[in-house]
Amino acid sequence: MLAYIGRRALLAVFTVWAISVLSFVIIQLPPGDYVSSYIAQMASMGSVVSDEEAQNLRIQYGLGQPIYVQYWKWMKQIAEGNFGFSMEWRRPVTEVIGERLWLTVVVAVAALLLTWVLALPIGIYSAVRQYSLGDYLATFIGFIGLAVPNFLLALVLLYLGFTLFDAHIGGLFSPELQDAPWSLARAWDLCKHLPIPALILGLAGTAQQIRIMRANLLDELRRPYVVTARSKGLSEPRVIVKYPVRMALNPFASTIGYTLPFIVSGSIIVSLVLGLPTVGPLLLRALISQDMFLAGTIVLLLGVMTVIGTLISDILLVWIDPRIRLEDT
Amino acid sequence: MKTRTFRFKLTIALVAGALTCGAAAAIAQNAGKSLIGKLEGPEVVTDPAKFPKTFKEAPQLAALVKAGKLPPVAERIGQDPLVIKPLHEVGKYGGMWRAGFTGPADFWNGFRCCSGPDHLMFWDYTGDKVVPNLAKGLEMQDGGRAWLIHLRRGMKWSDGKPFTADDFVFWFEDVYQNKDLVPVPSAAMAINGKPGVVEKVDTYTVRFKFPEPYTMFPDVLAGSTDLAGQMQGWRALGGFAPAHYMKQFHPKYVSQAELDRKAKEAKFDSWVRMFLFKNDWALNPELPVLSAWKTVTPINTPTWTLERNPYSIFVDTAGNQLPYIDKVVLTLAENLEVINLRAIAGEYDYASRHMDLGKLPVFLENQKRGNYKVYLDPGDYCDLIIKFNLNYDADPEIGKLFNTADFRRALSLGIDRDQINETFWLGTGTPGSMVPVDTNKYNPGPQYRKLWATYDVKKANEMLDKIGLAKKDAEGYRLRADGKGRLRIEIMTLGGQFVQYTQISEMIREQWKKIGIDLTVQEVERSLALQRTANNEQQLAAWNNDGSEHLFTFPVHVFPFVLADVATSGPLYVKWFHSAGAQGKEPEPRMKELMEKWKKAFGVSEKERIQLGKDIWRIEAEEVYIIGVVGQGPASMGVRVVKTNLGNIPSRMYNSPDGKTPGISRPVTFYWKN
Repeated sequence: MLAYIGRRALLAVFTVWAISVLSFVIIQLPPGDYVSSYIAQMASMGSVVSDEEAQNLRIQYGLGQPIYVQYWKWMKQIAEGNFGFSMEWRRPVTEVIGERLWLTVVVAVAALLLTWVLALPIGIYSAVRQYSLGDYLATFIGFIGLAVPNFLLALVLLYLGFTLFDAHIGGLFSPELQDAPWSLARAWDLCKHLPIPALILGLAGTAQQIRIMRANLLDELRRPYVVTARSKGLSEPRVIVKYPVRMALNPFASTIGYTLPFIVSGSIIVSLVLGLPTVGPLLLRALISQDMFLAGTIVLLLGVMTVIGTLISDILLVWIDPRIRLEDT
Repeated sequence: MKTRTFRFKLTIALVAGALTCGAAAAIAQNAGKSLIGKLEGPEVVTDPAKFPKTFKEAPQLAALVKAGKLPPVAERIGQDPLVIKPLHEVGKYGGMWRAGFTGPADFWNGFRCCSGPDHLMFWDYTGDKVVPNLAKGLEMQDGGRAWLIHLRRGMKWSDGKPFTADDFVFWFEDVYQNKDLVPVPSAAMAINGKPGVVEKVDTYTVRFKFPEPYTMFPDVLAGSTDLAGQMQGWRALGGFAPAHYMKQFHPKYVSQAELDRKAKEAKFDSWVRMFLFKNDWALNPELPVLSAWKTVTPINTPTWTLERNPYSIFVDTAGNQLPYIDKVVLTLAENLEVINLRAIAGEYDYASRHMDLGKLPVFLENQKRGNYKVYLDPGDYCDLIIKFNLNYDADPEIGKLFNTADFRRALSLGIDRDQINETFWLGTGTPGSMVPVDTNKYNPGPQYRKLWATYDVKKANEMLDKIGLAKKDAEGYRLRADGKGRLRIEIMTLGGQFVQYTQISEMIREQWKKIGIDLTVQEVERSLALQRTANNEQQLAAWNNDGSEHLFTFPVHVFPFVLADVATSGPLYVKWFHSAGAQGKEPEPRMKELMEKWKKAFGVSEKERIQLGKDIWRIEAEEVYIIGVVGQGPASMGVRVVKTNLGNIPSRMYNSPDGKTPGISRPVTFYWKN
């Protein structure tokens, strides 16, 4: 068991390094660099950057150097705990990401929890009451959530919220509490604002999980041991929950790995539309303006999260399912 | 039976829908015209006899004075206040101004609304005349070779230290001439390529000296040029800098080793980056400023807050120190839809930047509910232009056609400008050529509005037939003269801008079918656009022409002027222009004439300059190097949403980047009525 984890951990480190190289290279791929995107941005605002100034900026940002030099410089800085300087935000990358990162995690976890809270019971109900009205209704709503682009959903909900409920547009906090220091009031304010973003982000995933749960449970419910349990007089809820549901939970555990980063990156557009101060919009901007240290660090972070998540789900699987434990170790 | 009823109902529904849309469009159009008011604005009082003798201040500042934390207001302002006569009435202190911004790249937002404005000289509300601003006055000497800037006695930086000629000398000698901070000198500090110098005359007088007459100097100080004050601080330009504060970041006054250590500690790559950061009006809350509001939480945080500057030099005619409004709070909204939605919901008190003209009907619908009023401020410039790349040589036949005046003119005649105006500007623009509005002093005459800018398919077809493109293929598209098949040209556009270039280009594509031209629309991302233009790969490009109404301070989209641009008329001509003929390619005679006239204008009298300006626009209109489509519309920052209880709001503002709208209407005089 320990050897298993050890092996996985080693592979994880190697994967993270490969991700860092890849992300850095890919960010540099589009034509131009931060300065050219900056010039274009200035042009959009009616301001002009002279050619000499552009040259000057390139020298100052060290953009003229070859890519491996820049990468090595970045790696050295990371070893010191300095993730580089964001050219767009003119602040150290750690500062820019820091305040948003854990808010991102909060939103992602909320979305994930909502997904499970909705998907599990509905999935179980769908399987147990197969082909009933409830089953069809749940499936229908789930598929709508899957089919409608979530940013559209976000815009519609925002507009409805404004016209019907006079709600504040977007964001995770009310304007008064936006920059206030942390307090119970602020935490409660956050909880009040969480449902809509969590719902929108989770809806697509919910449909998927409902169907998976339903399918797996249906398979399990047809097994002989279930029949035996019923015939032995076990109550119906216990029959369903004790073993079949545990078996059907397998895919849930295995998808934790990529669900978290999936929600983080998949939520970029929704975060943009809803004005959530999360990492998603930050990454989008950084990629567009080729702010390479910021973009590189975020992608690296997402990579690390994925790897750690996969590691966790591997361990979880081994714990839940004895069959895997036996065949691997 | 069922089908018939269904079809009947469908027809009714469609007709009703069409009528409603038509009605909505008609309402929008009529409403559009009625939303444009009369140009008005506050005036700067220059007669010292009319200056107020005693001063009053905001209550919170008065409390600080009482507590001994601030000197009294008369001492803070000095002997030469900048007196502004509010547009409607003297206002009251208090309140907060909420608006939105899109991120750290949106610093122009703050420059426009809240810097004061803080140029040495600035435009009056008509955008035509240069009036004193931070400087008390400007005096010409030696036929324009020297300019004396008279500063205001007793004027102070926001931290209480005096603002004197030393701040100019520090900037010129230690900042501007430092090759690390400013590697290439600024064109604004030179006349005909010959650089000028800055000298101190006495504590409150500075002289800018040039080897040749530089008659445009006042305009250069007033416009958003390199000498526009602290808004250029982050590029180490501006004309002056707070010497007492910036010295601690400069290697002349602090040892290099100490400076490098400080930079490393603050996580900057070099002392240069630290210096530029510290001199940034929007990023550094500790920077002493002269503007009316001062950054308190910087632009790279979710909320950009600015608070009143206790040493503000601005006062109204009753002696009240301005601004009236205590605080400006800009909240981050990274998406344009969100900003517009917030404005519609009434969450902003004054917003004009990023407001989308296409959403005008929704803005109007929610006026009552949001307690705001919508105004339209058309610009004086052409909203949509199409540039021909005169240097395009990847395809010689197309390059030749671009350089044939009749080809350009014919293409211009093939555009149905009215249709574009109705669809994208909701009828609020003026179809026509690229010359600025009729009241602009450089406008060559009303007849040039329609020159080569009407919709004349017949004439266009005739002209194209005559230049060797008479043969057409089976679908009606013209064939190339060199026998290589159909003539195809490409237009490059950018998405996500104030004007919908891509969609409009698609409409033009449909329109040009009638004159037999096959146009491909290519939307690209910004950096790619820059690369294409610099590499001479662009054929046609769509952009807007804001700023060009100030022809001499903003010629970027009038003739090839800058290499790094999202739409070019000729990168090789740019090189030729800036290297005085050493590099690039020599332009054709009329373009050369145009460039010569432009250069000449900086050193001649005002009357001569106006004539030169008119000549330049006349050449542009006749040669159609750039096609003008719709102009004088409010698409670019011209949709203004203002709360009904804000006072001293003009019914129409001069909309221009040079005028830093709304800066030109002196937002220091805006106040909350209740």
